[in-house]
Amino acid sequence: MTRPRKRKRAGLTALRRRVGKVQVPVALGMTLVWMLLFKGFQPRWESLGLLVLGFLVSVLIMVLFPMPPITPMPRFHPVHLVRLVLYVLAEMVVASFQVTVIIFTRRQAPSSVVAVRMRTDSDLTMVCTAIAASIIPGTLIVEVNRSERVLYVHMLGVGDDEAVERGRRDIWKLERRFVMALGTHEDIAALRAGGPEALDEQETREGGERP
Amino acid sequence: MNETLGAVLDWVAILCILAGAMLSLVAGVGLIRLPDLLSRMHAAAKPQVLGLVLVLVGIDIRLIPVETNVFNVGTLVLVALFQMATIPVAGHITARVGYRTGRIEEGLMARDELAERLEADEAAAGDRGGDGAAR
Repeated sequence: MTRPRKRKRAGLTALRRRVGKVQVPVALGMTLVWMLLFKGFQPRWESLGLLVLGFLVSVLIMVLFPMPPITPMPRFHPVHLVRLVLYVLAEMVVASFQVTVIIFTRRQAPSSVVAVRMRTDSDLTMVCTAIAASIIPGTLIVEVNRSERVLYVHMLGVGDDEAVERGRRDIWKLERRFVMALGTHEDIAALRAGGPEALDEQETREGGERP
Repeated sequence: MNETLGAVLDWVAILCILAGAMLSLVAGVGLIRLPDLLSRMHAAAKPQVLGLVLVLVGIDIRLIPVETNVFNVGTLVLVALFQMATIPVAGHITARVGYRTGRIEEGLMARDELAERLEADEAAAGDRGGDGAAR
């Protein structure tokens, strides 16, 4: 008789631990998707029920399929977020034209794989930068080195050293905008402290102090 | 007044959808014209994203005054969102597999910093690999 009860209790603590791990902001984001799916943004009473139901379903999903937590949680800076979205959209339009020109004029377009070292230490920024670089035409992520924070980016129509440096700077610009829009204060401070060269120096200095 | 506004919105919607369709066509042409897999990935994934977004914007503009029971602006926002979230993943995996299995034209590669890196890794693994083979 005791064994099933013990198992039940162990199951309960496991469940409690899982519920405790639910990240409310993530659940709210999922609720937003739910509302969009079921036309929840109309002034009627059903919308309130949709909101509650969506939140419950989000929590249920996160309990059943736990994911590694997003740490540190992003902080939203609305002004920078709007500027980021506009920048990505503008880049998409400009780069679409560039790729179109390459397609129609040059049959043998040169290309390069460029290693870009991220300047900040957050997974979220790296993922966002990689996604944005993938969406913007002309750049494609071939390989990601997470431990060293290096993105290997394939760039279409990039042949000489000058163009390689320009492409690298474009990715850095993208990263800077993401950090400004979503980063924590430490990330922004690290970015303000200087360009990649300054950060490298800082790293070596810190590494020298640590041992 | 309202009619002119409707006409203007109609024209904007038509232009958006047309531009989107043109971009998708360019993506198709690029698939044929570009030389190797990685370059083709650019054509397949990119102008087509902007093309799809433009088509969706066009439909959005037409939808705002009309009430349908099938889908609305929110649904289209979701379509665009998920397209933007999934295309990088698919593109990255395809590019990675293509690169690792050597389906690239090296003659067109002006600079390849990943190859240098992989060679260094392989040399390091070779040293360790000797032990592994002995075991």
